[in-house]
Amino acid sequence: MASFEETGPRTPVVEPTRVDKVHPRAKWGKSIRVILTVIVTFIMIIPVLVMIMTAFKSRANIVTPPPKVLFHPTLEGFLYLFTDRSVLSPSNLEAERANPGDLNYWQKLALSVGQKINGPSDYVGRLKNSVIIAGTSTVLSVILGLFAAYAFSRFKIAGKDDLLFFILSTRMLPGVVVTIPLFLLYKQLGWNDTHIGMVILYTVFNLSFSVWLLKGFIDEIPIEYEEAALVDGYTRLQAFFRIVLPQAVNGIAATTVFCLIFAWNEYAFALMLTSEKARTAPPSIATMLGSGGLEWSAIAAGSLGFLIPVAIVTFVLRDYLLRGVTFGAVRK
Amino acid sequence: MSTIELRQVEKKFGDLHAVKPLDLTIQDGEFIVLLGPSGCGKTTTLRMISGLETVSGGTIWLNGRNVTWLHPSERDIAFVFQFYALYPHLTAWKNIAFPLQAQGESRETVEKRVDEVVKLLQIEHVLKAHPGQLSGGDQQRVALARALVRRPAAFLMDEPLGALDADFRESMRSEIKRLHVLQHATTVYVTHDQIEAMAMGDRIVVMSEAAIQQIGTPAEVYNDPSNLFVARFIGSPGMNLITGEYADGVVQMAGLDNRYAVPQEWQSVLKKRLDSGSEIVIGFRPESAQINDRGELVGKVYASEMQGSSAVLHLTINENEIIHIRTDRLIPYPIDTLVHFDINPQMIRFFDAKTEAAFKPEVSQ
Amino acid sequence: MSASESEFKSPSTKVRQRHLSNSAIVNLFIWPTLLLLIMMNVFPLFYSLYLGFTNYSAIAQKAPVWVAFQNFSNILNDKNLWQYFATTGRYALMSVSLQVLVGFGLAMLVREKFKGGGILTTLILIPMMISPVVVGLFWKLMYNPTFGFFNALLGFSDPSRSPDWLASRLAGQPVPGLALFAVVIVDVWMWAPFVMLLVLSGLKAIPDYLYEAAAVDRASSWFQFWRITLPQVAPLLLIAVLFRTIEAFKSFDLVMGMTGGGPGVQTELISVDLYRIAFLGQFRTGMGSALAYIILIIIIAISNLYIKYLNQSKGEG
Repeated sequence: MASFEETGPRTPVVEPTRVDKVHPRAKWGKSIRVILTVIVTFIMIIPVLVMIMTAFKSRANIVTPPPKVLFHPTLEGFLYLFTDRSVLSPSNLEAERANPGDLNYWQKLALSVGQKINGPSDYVGRLKNSVIIAGTSTVLSVILGLFAAYAFSRFKIAGKDDLLFFILSTRMLPGVVVTIPLFLLYKQLGWNDTHIGMVILYTVFNLSFSVWLLKGFIDEIPIEYEEAALVDGYTRLQAFFRIVLPQAVNGIAATTVFCLIFAWNEYAFALMLTSEKARTAPPSIATMLGSGGLEWSAIAAGSLGFLIPVAIVTFVLRDYLLRGVTFGAVRK
Repeated sequence: MSTIELRQVEKKFGDLHAVKPLDLTIQDGEFIVLLGPSGCGKTTTLRMISGLETVSGGTIWLNGRNVTWLHPSERDIAFVFQFYALYPHLTAWKNIAFPLQAQGESRETVEKRVDEVVKLLQIEHVLKAHPGQLSGGDQQRVALARALVRRPAAFLMDEPLGALDADFRESMRSEIKRLHVLQHATTVYVTHDQIEAMAMGDRIVVMSEAAIQQIGTPAEVYNDPSNLFVARFIGSPGMNLITGEYADGVVQMAGLDNRYAVPQEWQSVLKKRLDSGSEIVIGFRPESAQINDRGELVGKVYASEMQGSSAVLHLTINENEIIHIRTDRLIPYPIDTLVHFDINPQMIRFFDAKTEAAFKPEVSQ
Repeated sequence: MSASESEFKSPSTKVRQRHLSNSAIVNLFIWPTLLLLIMMNVFPLFYSLYLGFTNYSAIAQKAPVWVAFQNFSNILNDKNLWQYFATTGRYALMSVSLQVLVGFGLAMLVREKFKGGGILTTLILIPMMISPVVVGLFWKLMYNPTFGFFNALLGFSDPSRSPDWLASRLAGQPVPGLALFAVVIVDVWMWAPFVMLLVLSGLKAIPDYLYEAAAVDRASSWFQFWRITLPQVAPLLLIAVLFRTIEAFKSFDLVMGMTGGGPGVQTELISVDLYRIAFLGQFRTGMGSALAYIILIIIIAISNLYIKYLNQSKGEG
């Protein structure tokens, strides 16, 4: 059998590669790489798959060993998550079952596990809080951050590096350090457990991040465009709105999404600074209790609700991801 | 003996030909230049010879060995990159020593050979530095030293002067040529700069659009370009090319109503190969024309350029074509004046307007 | 390369337009941000410092009473607290080193493009974008010895003989440190992809011609890795290490979701303990503030390194 060195590959090579890379040994190496990567990726994804499955499992399926991969899907988890129910006594249960009346899907589902729906659960309200608080604070932090980022990017400012350092360092602070005094401060201001308190908190929480990230994006817009506009007689403000803003749209979008994710996922501050009225979803999910301990399917269902937007966003932002997580420090 | 032979070597990217099947034989000790504009396939060809690029078809022979599928390090070649490719975390000395060490040479051999090469390139003073601390020129010298130290059968150089400052390029040019002569080494040199090619090459391979346009000595490609591309590409400025209509030994050009009488030696060829009324292109170099009040042809001054001791006069022949004539610096030519000139009949060339190929005069018996 | 350093001057035109001067704009743009940050960060920092010197309790109706360094000395003399610091330190060490190893390995696997590589990379990135408390929760489910998937996937079929990760037990015997290790696994799961991303960006920046020169010189794979790949990637690895170490010291959400500090105090990270001191039980606000400050100093020390290093590498870049 002739060796590779003598005869070359079986089919002509029509991509750019080196000679040693089309050697059969190299091709084996590549196949192994691909297989390994697929395996590792699958392993990494398993927990997420488990979560998705759990959201659709019945209580019994979750807590009886061994853990099942094949099961009858049900929407119980969502029922537990979104509704407040009461357990029917056996006699009431009989009665309800005998006399069903006109029940919608959810009511029937509740009946099938021996419960009756009373109304929406706390979680729905908490979810609303999350949306309001995360949304508002994101808008604020992006807008403020945008202006500050532009100023830092385009102007000579006394002590600019120190100021930027200061802004970055606020992000380095452990949340717990500021939580205690903020807790007290909020108590004084009456902002404890209020939307406005949380909105301001999250705005500041994301501000340092959005300033750094946006500055990185604005730095990349060539300054010549604004200079030309200024020569043409535009004011600085006009140049900012007409020229810089449109070109920064990508960066603004990416920053907005990152801020949204961080605010949406935030747990520690929400846990410590809210209790009832302004509580957001993350602390609530952790404490969903069922009849005998944690209501896993509800937790999974709630987590799924978190997971889906995150997955979409990860895919959409994959090119910006590296910048986002290192505050614009590293560009891909 | 280190001859290099390419037989029907081609490279495709998908369905696109980066290099159309070509044949090339490079003699032992020759300095051959692959010249052409970006994208013409010259670098790909060089990389195929080195093994840094696979061939899609054809074979490559080095000293009678089929090296087409051998690892780059087994072909007995050295490669000099445009961006030097020095290992950033080794000192200059270690960079130069590396190829020998990788081959397992003894310490004495390594030291001796590195020493030789360092003296040759006069880089004793940079040996302890890291590449990042050196100027472009020094880095390239270190890269050359690294290539030389192996005493390979052939040197392959990919636009090595491209990253250097203009003034530096000239001195490095002569250095490389001097090294080549001293080493008696076969060198394949890629560049897009035709001045460089003309100055350095024993032979030039002019390439364009993935194919060889002409192989010849600098004099050959300059004086006898084989097609319009070579005529335009070689020389600065390129060859003057004017289209006209051929009929019975006379070329009629549009515009200023120039009629050119075809010189004796060309008449039979043109008569044989062209029908009356077909298009033809006349070519001549700027220095082959002479300003002459009683000249046969006439042009209108478009601009003039002072270039040191001589001047280049740009004349319009018709609305599309401008020609350049080298002339004495001293005489002023205002814009739009009509100027008459003659073309040296030894230096005139003719090209088929459709195929773009040059006509060859018949050799007289 | 930023375009930021030139000073703008509007051309002087004959007609003096009424517009905001440059300095007015700078002030307008920056001060709101700065003010908010000061109010919400600087002020609380000082207030917290003050509180650290008192024995204030947020639920007691009494005003704060100055106790000088008593809180600090209590903390520094508290063996338990030292243990929690040690736990946090061990956690940081294990987690960061594993993240770097796995992340680096992943990057080396994925560096050469192949079909579908983009999708796979995106999938790997999802874990780090999910809320840590949520991650903690569903890993808690997975680690359950009776009905969780983790043991099942590893091949343990008999619950009585498989490890109970979060309780640090195996077949009825305590296995100290198991729970902490279990948390480390989750942290690595979340953040190794981050390291991978970082390393990948470094890998892509290495010019091909270096490897080509190495090929012509027949350099060994080891040489190529050690002399070409690693030096280029090392700065980014350092960023990853510093960044993740800081985050490990601040780690709160994940542990709260998974173990709440248990079993016992095996996973009691320092931030969890701080929460317990200040927001549970007796609400010992003064003590908590003192502890918070100590943690802060440690983190500042590490952050300083990080930021200095960031600036340095940006300057060279």
